[in-house]
Amino acid sequence: MSSSRERILAAAQANKPAETPLPTVPDFGGDASVERFTEVLGSIGGRVVWVANPQQLGPVLRQLFPDAQRTASPLLAATVPVNEQTPTDVLADVDLAVLPGEIGVAENGAIWLPEVNMLHRALPTVTQHLVLVLDHRRIVATMHQAYAQLPSTGGYGAFVAGPSKTADIEQSLVIGAHGARSLVVLLY
Amino acid sequence: MTHSSRAATFVADADRTTWHDETLWFVRQKRDKAVYAVPEFQDLRELASQIKEHTLSRLDEYLQQFEAKAQRNGVHVHWAADAQEHNAIVLDIIRRHNATRVVKSKSMLTEECHLNPHLIGHGIEVIDTDLGERIIQLREEAPSHLVLPAIHLKKEDVGATFHLHLGTEKGNHDPQQLTEAARQHLRAKFLAAEVAISGVNFAVAETGGVVICTNEGNADLGVNLAQVHIASMGIEKLIPRLSDLGVFTRLLARSATGQPVTTYTSHYTKPAEGREMHIVIVDNGRTQQLGRPDFRASLKCIRCGACMNTCPVYRRSGGHSYDFTVPGPIGAILSPNIDLKKHSSLPFASTLCGSCTDVCPVKIDIHVQLYKWRQVLTEAGEIPAAKKWSLKFMGRFLASPKAFGIGGKVARTGLRLLPYQLTHAKAFNAWAVARELPEPPKQSFREWYARTVE
Ligand code: SF4
Repeated sequence: MSSSRERILAAAQANKPAETPLPTVPDFGGDASVERFTEVLGSIGGRVVWVANPQQLGPVLRQLFPDAQRTASPLLAATVPVNEQTPTDVLADVDLAVLPGEIGVAENGAIWLPEVNMLHRALPTVTQHLVLVLDHRRIVATMHQAYAQLPSTGGYGAFVAGPSKTADIEQSLVIGAHGARSLVVLLY
Repeated sequence: MTHSSRAATFVADADRTTWHDETLWFVRQKRDKAVYAVPEFQDLRELASQIKEHTLSRLDEYLQQFEAKAQRNGVHVHWAADAQEHNAIVLDIIRRHNATRVVKSKSMLTEECHLNPHLIGHGIEVIDTDLGERIIQLREEAPSHLVLPAIHLKKEDVGATFHLHLGTEKGNHDPQQLTEAARQHLRAKFLAAEVAISGVNFAVAETGGVVICTNEGNADLGVNLAQVHIASMGIEKLIPRLSDLGVFTRLLARSATGQPVTTYTSHYTKPAEGREMHIVIVDNGRTQQLGRPDFRASLKCIRCGACMNTCPVYRRSGGHSYDFTVPGPIGAILSPNIDLKKHSSLPFASTLCGSCTDVCPVKIDIHVQLYKWRQVLTEAGEIPAAKKWSLKFMGRFLASPKAFGIGGKVARTGLRLLPYQLTHAKAFNAWAVARELPEPPKQSFREWYARTVE
């Protein structure tokens, strides 16, 4: 045990204020509609496309991304096989990743993407374009409801809300900073 | 150097000052729009405040719970009493992997510890990957804002910097094209990095995991490609439960930029198979602040930047005028804890209008603490003599109705008679530098009252 650890803990114990209660966070309810989710996702640079048959994504994807050569996905016959061991240079060439999302959040357009759905942890950000496939019945109203549905956050997992973006140059919004340049949500 | 003397350099460029002021006010307006759209927003602020207060009141226990969980997750946990120890720990981890290429995502803590110069001095390449941070790193400047590190720069400045360092076309200052150039440049760095350093937005005691919020995805890209992840966190980043994130993720981005949430809200709990994850828990003056009843609430801060976007002084003086890692109103209450003498002018860089307190998502009584620091500073003799004596004089003057009556008469005549050169002599009256004196009334209120009512 390092002495800094002991010193920090001792100082925190000595200097902390009298105990105050931990509040219970209510479920505030809210709008969990597909319309709300679609509207908010659109406002943050993402896009919802309805698919009739989630087992048949090929035609939709060919139409949306006619130029995508190198695709990685656990949901369809992909051209780049990706797993946890895939080397960086292979990952770096992926044009399109199509991954299953778990929970959609209507208030902010975010989608919960756990590690087990990613093939490789870096895939959702290293790919040029990202498609998340989501069951519309998995849309909840708020982040409270989303966290309430998570059994745990696993080893790694992210709420992804739209494409990568930045406004660091004079507050001008630019889509496609370091991560995926676009985000399409295929709802079924 | 005081805040006002550093601000003088910034306000010398009037157009830029106006632009800076308006840009940040625009961010504040976006915040309002986002906040008003959430009916329970005020409830969320109260909850966030209570959760943070509770956490501080049991901080030692939550730190230990967090450590135990993280270790069970296979994470290496380190403790650093100060900046020096933090930097030594980070360098040691990098060296043990014989690494020389490091990417870093946004972290005010590593900025506070001056980690970059330390690593660079030991032959390590450290690349800041947040676009704004990369811009200022290339320019060898400090960030001027918590979430918008390059907000003091115009696109022409960025264009010139990128032309010099990244070979973009001279005169090209199109944000879209400059961002694309940075994307290509940084991608090569991401792919080559052996170690990724990140900050931490929230550390969850219940899970032992840390949460990082970005819009660019630079933390995720860096961490998930590198062999080793080092996350540096201050002890105040803790929250007790996973579900508490529901409260904080709803507040953070709305307060910061008016977005409903950051693009990536990423939860790092265990290292990937065959990789390493380290968490460095840093004190660096925080437990001392915890022991100051008047100022401990500043440890609730979630670094959203809302208080600076709304501050009339920050907006017109720029982040660099604070000369502290965290600028703006919150910086002005954190900095005297670190060095009372050096930062003695910062608590005075405020109108005490209270706008910071109104927007703070964790309900820190910022302007009250600014006022309290002024009292501490005055007691410690850390205010300039001119301010001290004029305040003393004013205090006595205002306490005496007789002196006040005479003084008013003198002023009304004086304002009419004194030559402009004298009232606006810069050496005597800094107040008049950018202001005109009022038209003096013919009579005082008391005179008017006596004549009209009696
Ligand atoms: S003090 Fe409050 S408003 Fe200012 S950065 Fe911290 S959390 Fe945001």
